[in-house]
Amino acid sequence: MPPVHPSNSRFSGRSPRLSASRRRFLQLSGAALSGAVLTNCARNIGGGSTDASPASPASSSGGGDNTLHVYSWSTYIDDDLLKSFEQETGIKVIADIYDSNETMLAKIQAGGGKQYSIIYPSDYMVGQMAELNLLSPIDKERVPGYSDLLAQWESPSYDVDNTNSIPYAWGTTGLVYNTEVLTKPVTDWSYLWDNKKQLSGKMTLLNDVREVMGFALKSLGFSNSSKDPKQIEAAYKKLAQLKPSLSSFTTDGWRDQIVVGDLLLSHAYSVDGIDVMASNPKLKYVIPSSGATVWTDTIVIPKAAPNMDAAYKWIEYTINPETAATVLTRLKFATPNQKTLALLPQELRENPALIPPDAVLEKCEVLANVDSATDLYDRYWTQLTSA
Amino acid sequence: MTLPHPLVKFRPSWQLILTLLMFVFMYLPVLVLAFFSFNASPFSAGWGGFSLKWYAKMISDGRMLSALQDSLLVAFLAVMISAVLGTLMAVGLARYKFPGKGLYQGMSYLPLIIPDIAIAVATLVFLASLAIPLSLWTVVAAHVVFCISYIALVISTRLTGLNQHLEEAALDLGATPQQAFIKVLLPQLMPAIISGCLLSFVLSMDDLLISNFTAGGGTTTLPMEIFSRVRTGVKPDINALSVVLILGSGILAFAAEYIRFKGDQQQLGK
Amino acid sequence: MATSAPLPPVPGAHPSTDTVAAKLKRKLVSLVQPTVLLGPAGIWLFLLLVVPTLMILELSLIPGFRPGEPAGAYGLGNYTKIFELIDGQPIYLWVIARSVLFSVGSMLICLFLGFPVAYWIAIMAPKRWQNLLLVSFVLPLWTSSLLRSYAWITILRPTGVLNSLLGVFNLPPVDILNTQTAVMIGLAYNYLPYMVLILYSSLEKLDRRLLEAASDLGATPQQGFWKVTVPQTLPGIAAGCLLVFITNLGDFVVPELLGGASSMTMARLVYNQFLGATRNWGFGSGLSMLLILGVSIAIALLLKYGDQKAEDF
Repeated sequence: MPPVHPSNSRFSGRSPRLSASRRRFLQLSGAALSGAVLTNCARNIGGGSTDASPASPASSSGGGDNTLHVYSWSTYIDDDLLKSFEQETGIKVIADIYDSNETMLAKIQAGGGKQYSIIYPSDYMVGQMAELNLLSPIDKERVPGYSDLLAQWESPSYDVDNTNSIPYAWGTTGLVYNTEVLTKPVTDWSYLWDNKKQLSGKMTLLNDVREVMGFALKSLGFSNSSKDPKQIEAAYKKLAQLKPSLSSFTTDGWRDQIVVGDLLLSHAYSVDGIDVMASNPKLKYVIPSSGATVWTDTIVIPKAAPNMDAAYKWIEYTINPETAATVLTRLKFATPNQKTLALLPQELRENPALIPPDAVLEKCEVLANVDSATDLYDRYWTQLTSA
Repeated sequence: MTLPHPLVKFRPSWQLILTLLMFVFMYLPVLVLAFFSFNASPFSAGWGGFSLKWYAKMISDGRMLSALQDSLLVAFLAVMISAVLGTLMAVGLARYKFPGKGLYQGMSYLPLIIPDIAIAVATLVFLASLAIPLSLWTVVAAHVVFCISYIALVISTRLTGLNQHLEEAALDLGATPQQAFIKVLLPQLMPAIISGCLLSFVLSMDDLLISNFTAGGGTTTLPMEIFSRVRTGVKPDINALSVVLILGSGILAFAAEYIRFKGDQQQLGK
Repeated sequence: MATSAPLPPVPGAHPSTDTVAAKLKRKLVSLVQPTVLLGPAGIWLFLLLVVPTLMILELSLIPGFRPGEPAGAYGLGNYTKIFELIDGQPIYLWVIARSVLFSVGSMLICLFLGFPVAYWIAIMAPKRWQNLLLVSFVLPLWTSSLLRSYAWITILRPTGVLNSLLGVFNLPPVDILNTQTAVMIGLAYNYLPYMVLILYSSLEKLDRRLLEAASDLGATPQQGFWKVTVPQTLPGIAAGCLLVFITNLGDFVVPELLGGASSMTMARLVYNQFLGATRNWGFGSGLSMLLILGVSIAIALLLKYGDQKAEDF
């Protein structure tokens, strides 16, 4: 606990008599102490790894044996799942949700993450978190079903051999549009630029740095995880042209608006795309022909996890093919597990929006961790959103 | 009293019309929310018939209710702590002169002046640097900061008009300072304390930014929940919730005003 | 949490002047009361407000500081970054200019809409209704600011209430949501009650005999208004304007919910630096300090030229 600066809490009833030298001394020592606290400030937050490891389970409220704190995208958490897990194992789940990988990372680094034993970062974020030494390696002995993973996820590029993460769900990032108004079918990213007059104020992009920069890179024919500053700059410039026509950057907020017709086109995750198609049949989800992102959301256990046992129980429960298939049928996302896939109802398995044909998937690309170029991405993103 | 005054006669009553328009402007959003909360259609775009289903849905919405519970708990704890600290501070500031009083006073007004976002990030940095895990308690601690200021402000305005001799008389009659404080000063201050508490209670229930930066460990306050729902596309049970909240805070507002009004009357009476 | 912290050291009496132990004791006792009264709140505010603010001041002096990375050397990089040119555009200066523009715009709207309302309530309305009118006018302030902004989304969206109404009168629809106009409307709506409260307290004190005297001397009501009413309420106008200005400057919810892609403001930028994609806490701290500085300057002006009473609100 930092010391109190004496000069601020000093008072003396009706007779303020304090020798000048003594006052000076108090002020100086107070300043010195505050200074000491403050210089530690940057070091404490900056340290990162030293900070994250010594987690004392008792320090957080409700970190007891029978509670499991889960930090997840809102998509993967629903009351039914939590209830059935609690019934089966007797472990109470407390879920917090986030709406972007970066928000999650910021909160974890700010010290808010000590309670969590389960987090659901996306592919490139797994790499970033592993680099920051925030993840605890997965004990494969305790996770059944590793052998059932589809070939693409046996050793994904973002996490070789699935050392730190278990792939849980995957999908693509494409475009949802209103077929009634936009009668010409949308086939590629270039549609946004070609029709920006008609789409002005009626289109949204995801509030996600990598996805947005990624599709601009793709539309220019580059990799969506390019580290070449020239290519990244070109992508930024291309996006800057689109900026004045955008309604907003939003990850979820477009859903209601596109259903009632306020918006015509939205950059969207396949999960949400399929969801809005169900509420309004005039909407269509497409994967642009020059290729989109294939994203994978994973399950990881942070290094500071207070309740490892419960975490493994949760993993075991959620990736169990039967549970996963039920959840998946309800929430509509694709699975990297072939046994789960086999249990899906046929109409889902054959829905091209959910599981695209191989020819389309070939063009798609996984977002990789861009290491040193992260700064550059962040900079252009801030510029794009601030302009 | 009505003045048969030439000014009143000459002035065209466009001010009245504008005032009425402004009243409509102020209440329009509230009325729109109320209107759509009875709408059977799930989208706020057209009228689909009268229905109470969103109210039923709201009552059975577990996330919403637990957020409401967290918010009430945070606001209650923060206001309780601030009521004690704020009252002591206001009395102390009115009573004593000491070197650095200007600084102290400045500090006590700071939360009213500094934008919420700056308080929020500063608190986050503070908690992160001391490695304090975010929880419900960190939210309470952060809310106390601005609640103290508002409570102290309301009490200070009342203290300036207070009859100081009563407390001195009590002391002369042999009461200990504690007795004088509890038996004489506190009852006189009660209306201000209560209205300050109500004000800061509402502010605490309304705070998004500071909670968002300091909450953790499964704590989600109502504004945080509403904010994430407003961004993710709103279902009309939010409309129903807003009607309930508006009625609730409306009652609180009138209670606060009434108490203040009564307090002022008492003060004038003396 | 911090209530159990030890009380601050109370500087005792000066030894040389205190010869009697009892005197010393009495003096110490006399210090107990102020300590109890002012200590706890002082410690709380100091720990959770002053120290944190000094911490972001420190972070703002470490260019590009990010959590989880070792802190670099001190420098003014976060402040000079504000002037950075990108594609020949000072983007961050635009953000600041936009925030100021929003604040000034909504301040002016509040003033021009709020003054007649305050005037009518304070001067033209029957005396016994004044309190009730005022309380009912500011009542929406007590409702959640998020929900009020959300209500504006419902009103302003392309298929929303406003366009349905325009449709009824055969008028062309307007596209306001996710524009800067929407931000102005939202801000003005949120802060109009404050403006009315302050102007009311100023107008209520207006010395009406001056107006009568002016009219007796042949001044028209317009002349009376501009030469008597306005000068007398100037301190209230100044206080109201500055208050609306500073609160608008730091507002996050309205631009975030109503502003869309082209309404980045300082508060949103700070938020994004901390919890958004960039995680540049150094730059975010720098912007926060700038925000605090801007607000402090406005407050200093208010204290210097403003009306002391009106400031209470």
